[in-house]
Amino acid sequence: MSEFDDLKKKIELTKNKYKSSLPQNNNNIIAMAFRIGIELVAAIFVATFIGYYLDKWLGTKPIFIIILFIVGVASGIFNVVRSAKMINKG
Amino acid sequence: MATNPMHQFEVHRIGPSLSISGVDVSFTNSSLFMLISSILIITFFMIGTRKVNIVPDKIQLLNEIVFNFISKMISETAGPKAKPYFPFILTIFLFILTLNMIGLLPYAFTVTSQIIITFFLAVVIFIGVTIVGFAKNGIGFLKIFAPSGVPIFLFPIIVAIEIISFLSRPISLSVRLFANMLAGHTMLKVFGGFVVSLGIIGGWLPLSFSVALTALEILVAFLQAYVFAVLSCIYLNDALNMHH
Repeated sequence: MSEFDDLKKKIELTKNKYKSSLPQNNNNIIAMAFRIGIELVAAIFVATFIGYYLDKWLGTKPIFIIILFIVGVASGIFNVVRSAKMINKG
Repeated sequence: MATNPMHQFEVHRIGPSLSISGVDVSFTNSSLFMLISSILIITFFMIGTRKVNIVPDKIQLLNEIVFNFISKMISETAGPKAKPYFPFILTIFLFILTLNMIGLLPYAFTVTSQIIITFFLAVVIFIGVTIVGFAKNGIGFLKIFAPSGVPIFLFPIIVAIEIISFLSRPISLSVRLFANMLAGHTMLKVFGGFVVSLGIIGGWLPLSFSVALTALEILVAFLQAYVFAVLSCIYLNDALNMHH
């Protein structure tokens, strides 16, 4: 058992020694940054798609496509703001 | 040698053509590379867990690093309630990571550069998360579309925005992975073509670019797998821990 404790102490010591030189974990921030661009486009795309087919189905061209395009833009901006908040949180 | 940079993305049949009730189920190069990556992952863990020591050997250490990395990511983004979904997230992450990395080898096929593959993965996650949300919260899961503290006249607009934002999840998830892989591999191929056409005198500049791009692509391959896994966790978090 003492052998095991010795090893544990050794690992702790080595960890502390390299702690300052280890690179910080920025993966999460980069991951969030990757989100932003596509998130804006995807929301607009989905909303316009739904609007187009609603119009086709109800025969009300071009009311829904216009309304849903605007909603899509708003939703895309919402998504971007949300991602940006996550970046700030880290 | 094929000079068309998009030639590498063509799916072609290997072996006989099979079809079940009109649906083409032949074995393609895409299926081959999916099979290879699955086998690689399974062998990696089989060798790593063959004999488990307190002081791990190299391959066991690698296994433990992967395990801890994903485990930490899940508990950071989705909390302790998401622990049961650990195997699923780990599988998704390793599958995409291996496919991306294998695709970087010359003459290999990048399965994740096919939109249908990434879209299918994203839709599985989307439907899975929706089912989990309804199973855990019942009809209360619909509250995800109605944040509290919204003035009554803004309510319909906010609900519409939230629904669109929810529906756009599989699109953004799949298009991001697909576009990054497609763009990166096309660029590598184009710069490779420059090296050949500029010859021994002018070819050094695009060659050095190619080397730098390969390094960038390795980073992107890892990051895209990570982003896919992290976003799955964030969506799971929305379904499991509803607090608004």
